[in-house]
Amino acid sequence: MDLILSYVATILVFFFIYNIFTVGLNIQFGYTGILNFTVITFMAVGAYVSAVFAMPKAVPGSGVYYVLGLSWPWPLAALMGVLASGLLGFIVGFIALRRLRSDYLAIVTLAAGTLLYGLAGNYNKAFDGWAGLFNVPQPFGSITNWTPTSYDVFFVVMSGLIMAVAVAFANRLYKSPLGRAMRAVREDADVVESFGKNTFKIRMLAMVIGCVFVGIGGVLTIAYITALSPAGWTSGETFVVWAALLVGGRGNNWGSILGSLLVAVVFNEATRYLPQMPQYPNLIPDIRNIIIGVLVIAVLWFRPQGVLPERKASFLELPRKASSNPTSSIDLAFETEVAK
Amino acid sequence: MQLFLQAIGFGLVTASVLALMSVGLSLQFGVTNYVNFAYGALLSVGMFLTWTFSVTLHLPFLLAIVCGVLGTGILAVLISEFLLDPFVRRRKSLFYMLIVTFGLSLVLDNVLQIAYGVGFKQYPIAQGSPLKLGPFSFTKSQLIIIGVALVAMVVVRLLLEKTNLGKSMRAMSDNPELAAISGIDTRTVTRWTWMMSGILAGLGGVVLAINDVSFQTASGDAMLFVIFAAVILGGIGQIYGAMLGALLIGLAMEISAVFINSAYTQDIAFLILVVMLLIRPQGLIAARGKA
Repeated sequence: MDLILSYVATILVFFFIYNIFTVGLNIQFGYTGILNFTVITFMAVGAYVSAVFAMPKAVPGSGVYYVLGLSWPWPLAALMGVLASGLLGFIVGFIALRRLRSDYLAIVTLAAGTLLYGLAGNYNKAFDGWAGLFNVPQPFGSITNWTPTSYDVFFVVMSGLIMAVAVAFANRLYKSPLGRAMRAVREDADVVESFGKNTFKIRMLAMVIGCVFVGIGGVLTIAYITALSPAGWTSGETFVVWAALLVGGRGNNWGSILGSLLVAVVFNEATRYLPQMPQYPNLIPDIRNIIIGVLVIAVLWFRPQGVLPERKASFLELPRKASSNPTSSIDLAFETEVAK
Repeated sequence: MQLFLQAIGFGLVTASVLALMSVGLSLQFGVTNYVNFAYGALLSVGMFLTWTFSVTLHLPFLLAIVCGVLGTGILAVLISEFLLDPFVRRRKSLFYMLIVTFGLSLVLDNVLQIAYGVGFKQYPIAQGSPLKLGPFSFTKSQLIIIGVALVAMVVVRLLLEKTNLGKSMRAMSDNPELAAISGIDTRTVTRWTWMMSGILAGLGGVVLAINDVSFQTASGDAMLFVIFAAVILGGIGQIYGAMLGALLIGLAMEISAVFINSAYTQDIAFLILVVMLLIRPQGLIAARGKA
């Protein structure tokens, strides 16, 4: 019974965490049209930074190296992790968002992700290199005497509450003037600019808010599993979040949640039960990545709006020519971008 | 001083490797106007196809390279023909193309990993002892790499300037609509562009593998953002810009390897990319309408 409870708890926690990731990416891509190709790096930064603030000093001579080790109480350490994630989002956005073409941001995010991945792995003084951090103290784990099961229940409730607040914030943002401006930037940045809005600032805000969301998810991830190494944040992981967002329906937070349920939970859990072949230990993860990649491409071809499409305000529209029938106004962005 | 000249020598080799890759990426970007994030995976395809032809099928190494490189070119054409081009025609969106190529890189990388495993591979060739050339010293394979890159650059140049195909490609790069109404068969030109991009990617992958001696399926993707750095430094979509960018990045990487730390050569490339995006995002040689 305890085993089942703990399994259900694990799945629920991951579902909540993936919801936060996907909603964060939704704010960046779904609302504002920002291509963040290294979502998972922001998760890792949030996780690592919160961990080194919460962990005690590294024991010299133990072969485990990490910076800081301040033994801060978890809420403060978590805050630092989230801030670090937002700060990295600010830096990456500042480098790349001043140009209108979205490829530049995609390139810079990918480059920053590759670079930080290599640095975190090769430079083992900061976050213990390829071995990664482990034995990260769990939030509030020392205050009361939890049994493992009651701790699981506690963590489910805590991550569920954090997720609920995050989603409520994202929904509120969607309807707010800032959210409307974000969606307007996605549709046509030039028009927004001509109305006197600072599109750079709007895009920066979306970038940072999204990264803060992903950072929160990262903080919760390492707090729950108490360990993280670079193998846990490869570019394939980024794609799980992208797949969740695109399958569920970009621009719609309920779509994001449905997507993370379908992709991150159902699909990932289902492939876990495929028979392992001992001579090919990487076969199942490789096949999972291939399916995720194919799934994203297939969704973009057959149903680019996702399962739960964004409900857009509809205005009286003139009938379009039959030849040009974009499924979404995001499509028009390409033509305006090319025309520049 | 001796050390500095030696670093320049290595820099020229790295620049040659990088030039092949960068020109391939830039050529395709110029004509189709979207970035191919699966390009890193294409480099790996070139490396491993050549390895298969050489080690598994026991072809002579030169013939194996030709087969591997042509195979990569054909794969690139197939990808364009059956995946990317239909997407461009169905959904005119830059977003879609970037996500699709990103997804494609995930698929290709993992297919390679299933086929070849994650371990390191080597080509069955001897490295050869270093030859002294004035202040520089190169191994034989390094000299061949420089030679191959120079020949490829001249061929690309001649193709772009002297042939009808090259002129059509430049026309499409400048203005696709105008090119289409001027009677250029844009689909055929796109096909040939992908062929060339794939061939250069395959060739770049092979020379990268020769230069690094051992390679794995992730080697191509590890190179991808260095290529982006070179391409953006030179001016995205600009062939000569890509050559210039490759030269500068290659030299900067190897000089920093000698004088700072060889572990941080990629970080130098990233730093250049960042500085360039901050002060002159259009690149050294700016293309109108591309940045």
